Amino acid sequence: MSHKITRKMDLNSADFYVEVEAPLVAERFKAGNFTILRSNPQGERIPMSIMKAEDGKIAMFIKKLGKTSMELYKTLDTFENVIGPMGNPIDIKKYGNVVVASDLVCGHAENYAICEALSAVEGNHVISYQTYPTADEVYPDEVLADKVCDEYHLTTEDGSRGEEGHYIDLLEERLEKGEKIDVIFAGGALPNLQELGEMTKAYNVPTIVTVRQIMVDASGMCGACRVFIDGEMKLACIDGPMFDAHKVDWESALRRPNMFVEKETVATKLCKETGRC
Amino acid sequence: MAKLKPRVPVREQPVEERIHNFDSVPYGYNEEEAIAEAQRCIQCPNPTCETACPVNIKIKDMIHFIAQKQFKEAFLLTKEDDAFPACTGRVCPQEDQCEGACILVKTGQPISIGKLEGFAADWARKNGIKEEIKVPSTSKPKKAAVVGSGPAGLACAADLRKYGYEVTMFETLHQAGGVLEYGIPNFRLPKDIVEYELDALEESGVEIKLNHTVGQNIGFDELQEEYDAIFLGTGAGAPRFMGIEGEKLNGVYSANEFLIRANLMKASLFPDWDTPIMVGDKVGVIGAGNVAMDAARTALRLGAKEVSIIYRRKMDFSPARAEEYEHAKEEGIIFQELVNPVKIVGTDRGWVKGVEVVNMKLGDKDSSGRPRPIPVEGTEHIIEIDTVIEALGTMPNRLFLSKAPELKTDRKGIIITDENLMTSIPGVFAGGDAISGGATVILALGEGRRAAKAMHDYIEGK
Ligand SMILES: Cc1cc2nc3c(=O)[nH]c(=O)nc-3n(C[C@H](O)[C@H](O)[C@H](O)COP(=O)(O)OP(=O)(O)OC[C@H]3O[C@@H](n4cnc5c(N)ncnc54)[C@H](O)[C@@H]3O)c2cc1C
Ligand SMILES: Cc1cc2nc3c(=O)[nH]c(=O)nc-3n(C[C@H](O)[C@H](O)[C@H](O)COP(=O)(O)OP(=O)(O)OC[C@H]3O[C@@H](n4cnc5c(N)ncnc54)[C@H](O)[C@@H]3O)c2cc1C
Ligand code: SF4
Ligand code: SF4
Ligand code: FES
Repeated sequence: MSHKITRKMDLNSADFYVEVEAPLVAERFKAGNFTILRSNPQGERIPMSIMKAEDGKIAMFIKKLGKTSMELYKTLDTFENVIGPMGNPIDIKKYGNVVVASDLVCGHAENYAICEALSAVEGNHVISYQTYPTADEVYPDEVLADKVCDEYHLTTEDGSRGEEGHYIDLLEERLEKGEKIDVIFAGGALPNLQELGEMTKAYNVPTIVTVRQIMVDASGMCGACRVFIDGEMKLACIDGPMFDAHKVDWESALRRPNMFVEKETVATKLCKETGRC
Repeated sequence: MAKLKPRVPVREQPVEERIHNFDSVPYGYNEEEAIAEAQRCIQCPNPTCETACPVNIKIKDMIHFIAQKQFKEAFLLTKEDDAFPACTGRVCPQEDQCEGACILVKTGQPISIGKLEGFAADWARKNGIKEEIKVPSTSKPKKAAVVGSGPAGLACAADLRKYGYEVTMFETLHQAGGVLEYGIPNFRLPKDIVEYELDALEESGVEIKLNHTVGQNIGFDELQEEYDAIFLGTGAGAPRFMGIEGEKLNGVYSANEFLIRANLMKASLFPDWDTPIMVGDKVGVIGAGNVAMDAARTALRLGAKEVSIIYRRKMDFSPARAEEYEHAKEEGIIFQELVNPVKIVGTDRGWVKGVEVVNMKLGDKDSSGRPRPIPVEGTEHIIEIDTVIEALGTMPNRLFLSKAPELKTDRKGIIITDENLMTSIPGVFAGGDAISGGATVILALGEGRRAAKAMHDYIEGK
């Protein structure tokens, strides 16, 4: 069964928005779940965060990165498979003061979904931080998380729009002032999630982050997505994808996603040459 | 007594050719060869071969039919006991089962039962001969759900359909077939054979729902509500790792990941197919069972220059099929016996550059009946490799189990069943690797069928 893409839109120079018909996924999606996409019958199974699910459709933010994503951006109007929802949703409950932070495509999608889910719970004060490198790269207003949270901070690293600085530094200032934050959910660039964890550890703030790893089956059968949490092997697809940032073995988590870089570069080049992407 | 003729050899793809492709290694018998081989069978009054077959195929009569050129009859006879003779003829460990018990084994030339069985099934497929399936018509058929589309699930679904059930099969992957599709490589079990069986199943009216992970995007409780009976054939697909230092390095795969990439995702066809695989020049496969042989021979076909099997015992104790071991040797796989990995060492850039092993000696027999390997202190040395594939066996699939806490399992997650294959939940049955922790295709097929019968009896109140 192929899935119809109902909307595509540029988010900035690198990322784009896709909406696709996927009734099963849409019906069951909860914040924190992801989907597995296959673009065509020869396609790779790639994981994607879900920004929102509505009317039998799901929306995603995708980076133009390698073969699948570029092909999708340029030529596709259907997906071969949209599978899921996979992975574990976050625990949707009352936390108190919740920060949801992101600085990269997948993180921004999760930011929206988590804010929407947690601000619906009474007793939560949901604070969203979305960091972009510069004003030109900020996503269109319609997809920002400001409408689904209680307190919104748009930040740019060069200060060209919103507050100046990365959310990690801005959060540290708040914690330094003694502000009470009960939990932080964050997604985006892995090295920054590691840094965030190091920072919040000092303040003892529970920090739950998406540990993005390469996946194949996403049902716990291949071990490609293994991460080490407090020394124990976990599978990001079925035990995660969100884990306690203070317990992640970051060295291997940062290294593993590069395992296939060489090959992926070849595929992307070829795909470009043949005009598929 | 006339002098016994030797086994009719099976023609095979020449080594130099086959190590560069994924096509079947054995070509299989043609009609003349099959007849000649069948004629060697002395038609024992008490065929020991049959008792040694886990599903008791009527081997003697099957062979007799082949000898008489009655191939259709031979095929239909095997089908009575074996859901997929084309598969089992290729993948059963015959030397431990039917052929191992053939009276002629003493002569060193037992009948090639597996090859004959495969021949009959291939002949039927090529000649459009199918088993006739009569689905009894009922005004309101009962509904059965089958979870997992490996051999256990497939055999169960096929029989449930024959009993007249409306059968829906759920599979988490985008392709049905279980290990037959994602694990066992094409050069051993051509995928068109598996797909032919899948088509036949769908033709008979079984609905296969791919991309449905029970416990994840469809609840086990939902199945229990909607279906009259449920079969769990979720297999034992979770990889095991050694847990030694250096396993976090890049270049370390589980055999499952390696084989899923190569088989299911067709990484051999990269970049025409999208999924990549990285195979270094020197590959080390840890373990020596069928999975290890498959991984090693796949690595070779993907371009590795040197592939070693690293095994802590001697190959005499390997659980691999004899034919695969022979083929692997012919293809130049190196066997490093009596060594056990203690740690994986890496480059500054975090990629594998070798595995440190310690020599082993064999001690007294352990619980598996094989001599226990004991490390010899001070013999640590490094085998230089740049890719490690761990083929240490698998464990039951955790995802489903974690979402079905009411289901009784043992400590390892193996689903506990009674003598009728019913689990601790009435109306829920299980079979295959999910209840054994990892066994064989024929056992999975047999249990699938046995469960279908038990489910039917249960529903009929028998
Ligand atoms: C839970 C989860 C959620 C994700 N959410 C999003 C999202 O919302 N938006 C988005 O753009 N991307 C997301 N990703 C990453 C996305 O899956 C990869 O970028 C994708 O596989 C790239 O495919 P490609 O063919 O375009 O690029 P490829 O050519 O396959 O890869 C290009 C590079 O991306 C990296 N990469 C490849 N596969 C993965 C992977 N599965 N995970 C991490 N890095 C990978 C490698 O470094 C590779 O060299 C997510 C990944 C996970 C695990
Ligand atoms: C590489 C390899 C080589 C082998 N070689 C041989 C051989 O030569 N001879 C031999 O006899 N045996 C061999 N075996 C063993 C044999 O393949 C297995 O014993 C057999 O496949 C078990 O069948 P099964 O139906 O129980 O499980 P599987 O074949 O594992 O099928 C289980 C299916 O269930 C699906 N599933 C799991 N969880 C869920 C869920 N929650 N929802 C939906 N679907 C789910 C899985 O995706 C899978 O498709 C080999 C195994 C491997 C891995
Ligand atoms: S099913 Fe396996 S054991 Fe039984 S006769 Fe066929 S090859 Fe032999
Ligand atoms: S035991 Fe061997 S010789 Fe005897 S019937 Fe069986 S296959 Fe034929
Ligand atoms: S993706 Fe295969 S185990 Fe997680």
